[in-house]
Amino acid sequence: MSDDALQDPSLIQEFLVESEELLQRMDQDLVALEATPSDAELLNRIFRALHTIKGTSGFLGFEPVIRLSHRAEDVLNALRKGEVQLTHPMMDALLSARDYLGKMMQDIRAGGLKEYELGALLRNLEAAQTVGQPSPSLGQLLVKQEVITPAALDAVLAEQSSSAEPRKLGQMLVDKGLASPAEVGDALVRQKEIAQQHAAVPTMRVDAAKLDDLINLIGELVLERNRLLQLSKDSSSKKVGTNELSSALAQSSARLSFITEELQSAGLKTRMVPIETVFRRFPRLVRDVSGSLQKEVDLSLFGQDTELDKTMVELVGDPLVHLVRNSLDHGVEMPEVREKSGKPRRGSIRLEARQEGDQIVISIRDDGAGMDPARIGRKAVDKGLVTAERLRGLSAREILDFIFLPGFSTAEKTTDLSGRGVGMDVVRTNLKKLNGSVEIDSHLGQGTTVKLRLPLTLAILPVLLVQVEKDVYALPLRSVAETAQINPKNVHQVEGSEVLCLRGETLPLLRLDQLFPAGANSRKLTPAGGALQGGGDESQKIVILGVADKRFALLVDQLLGQESTVIKPLGAFLHGCSSLAGATISGDGQVRLVLDPAGLLENLRSAAPMVQKASA
Amino acid sequence: MDLQANKPKAREAMAAHEELLQLVGFHVGGEEFVIDILRVQEIIRTQQLTRVPNSPDCMEGVMNLRGKIIPVIGLRKRFGLEEAAPDKQNRIVVVEIQGAVLGFVVDAVSEVLRIPAGSVEPPPRISLVEREYVAGVGKVGDRLLILLDADRLMSGAEQEVIGTAAAQA
Repeated sequence: MSDDALQDPSLIQEFLVESEELLQRMDQDLVALEATPSDAELLNRIFRALHTIKGTSGFLGFEPVIRLSHRAEDVLNALRKGEVQLTHPMMDALLSARDYLGKMMQDIRAGGLKEYELGALLRNLEAAQTVGQPSPSLGQLLVKQEVITPAALDAVLAEQSSSAEPRKLGQMLVDKGLASPAEVGDALVRQKEIAQQHAAVPTMRVDAAKLDDLINLIGELVLERNRLLQLSKDSSSKKVGTNELSSALAQSSARLSFITEELQSAGLKTRMVPIETVFRRFPRLVRDVSGSLQKEVDLSLFGQDTELDKTMVELVGDPLVHLVRNSLDHGVEMPEVREKSGKPRRGSIRLEARQEGDQIVISIRDDGAGMDPARIGRKAVDKGLVTAERLRGLSAREILDFIFLPGFSTAEKTTDLSGRGVGMDVVRTNLKKLNGSVEIDSHLGQGTTVKLRLPLTLAILPVLLVQVEKDVYALPLRSVAETAQINPKNVHQVEGSEVLCLRGETLPLLRLDQLFPAGANSRKLTPAGGALQGGGDESQKIVILGVADKRFALLVDQLLGQESTVIKPLGAFLHGCSSLAGATISGDGQVRLVLDPAGLLENLRSAAPMVQKASA
Repeated sequence: MDLQANKPKAREAMAAHEELLQLVGFHVGGEEFVIDILRVQEIIRTQQLTRVPNSPDCMEGVMNLRGKIIPVIGLRKRFGLEEAAPDKQNRIVVVEIQGAVLGFVVDAVSEVLRIPAGSVEPPPRISLVEREYVAGVGKVGDRLLILLDADRLMSGAEQEVIGTAAAQA
């Protein structure tokens, strides 16, 4: 133990809070790593956590903590470099090192480090690092193939380890005439193959009943195909009349469409897992974090059996952890404060998942202090995110939206848990990646509710088809608030940009035909300009799109109806094109572009100041 | 000097095991171009393309190639040549460039040629096409073949895409 001069109690307290949090995270991460050993990010996170603990304890002079974390770090480093592969004993050693570190933290909290018998654990870690190679050694392979005898192998190995400059085993065997170069070469190839077999393939468990459904549907599909084949044979041999044929064809295609739809949903269902897998970690998290913050919090979980696409479940975990931590740290007040304001001493956080149409809604509700729009507004002005004049015109909800901007944090004092100003920004970005959105609703003194909306699956996208001149575009249906016919008289010019007045609401108007002029490629100029062409009394079709809580109107030529499609990426070459989310393939094999409402909105925003400048 | 004089002879001697280039030939705007056959995934008839707004000029649109979305580039436009009326001989040459699969519209595909690597000479200073994507010029009889460098074929245009995106942002 080091001298007391360094042992500032507040420093130690901070170290403990940080380390305990890191260790908790590590616990989950290690287990997750065992399932996906190839996840470099996970590995790095564990490594960084250990490194932080080691660094701080070095500063504070906690010798045993340093020794243990250093050794564990070595193992992880070897894993990171790909020198060894993760094995079960290695994981056991890492997990027990983590537990031991946890115990040390408890001891420090209780008064000070004790004496630890670390020898066995350190040896285990060291052994894990060296023995952790999954593929059998070259020598073992050669013995197995009966090229050399075990005794000969032992002798050569002994020589190899005793010599000052160890050479490669294969080379030594060849030199000694124990194996031919070809045999060693074969064994090396075999070794590589085995190593590749060990490489983890991501797998998932699927309910057997779901697979049965799938197989049944495939059976039906086969029957329907046979029917179609028969029909085609009959028609080519002119056995059936045209009328008969067309009615049979109609029947058959209707059945086929039914089966395909069923197959599609059954296939997607195999990828669905209950959200419980994400929720499971929260009771412990809330218990531990509230403990370290000295707050009293009850967590209640609802709708754990709501099913969600597997990728979604994996990706939604981190944002949720962030939000729950935020609630614990900033939301729920200290017990005394709660009692003073007439609330029960124990705060409550309610985590709920439910399905709403084709969306999954996950809400995190706390009965804490709530957010103060005035304070957030001030902060936003301080940070130069908005001018004071503009702030006055914003609704409370719009002001709350500032917390999603990068670098925004209202916490007066940032703690280790949250308030670093990265949180909500990351939450929103992550959700955007999943085609989801996040909304926030907060009442000062009553608490905050954060709602995450996620599509049921990433694969199928219901779209609205619209036509502009000759081009057909698809709009994701989830962003479509409504479609309407408008009178051109309701379109006004405000500061150089067009707005639409619809039932008392003023919406920015975007003309798809101007944004995407037909024949832009062949440089044909379309008559640009404000006035609507064609008499002025003709009604025009618009689509009202909503991105988060921003709404805007899109002027189109025709509304063609809705469709369920599979969205495909446009590829690297067209990556730079904003406003496009991807493409789908229509029934006749044509490619249709899917517009990205968020990208369109960006367009609108970037266009507006330019117009303003021009008119100024 | 000596070396140059000896070259044809040496070439003849080596002809038996000299490296042969296997190339696909096609016509664009009256010129004959060739491209390494290994870079060509397939050659298909032209099909209905979907226009992509705000894309580079040379981009004709995107097409559906067995469920994959492939950008299609008009080589006439790419080479700055006049556009021609669609023809039954028009083909789309599907090429993989740096991991991305692209289609190139050509006037017509001629044949698969084998020419010795030695018969390809560096591109002349003045050429119909910007030099950057011309890997060399090959002579077969009295035909002059322009060998294209697939990897550099789109380099300029890609910058254009980025430029377009930047202009929009």
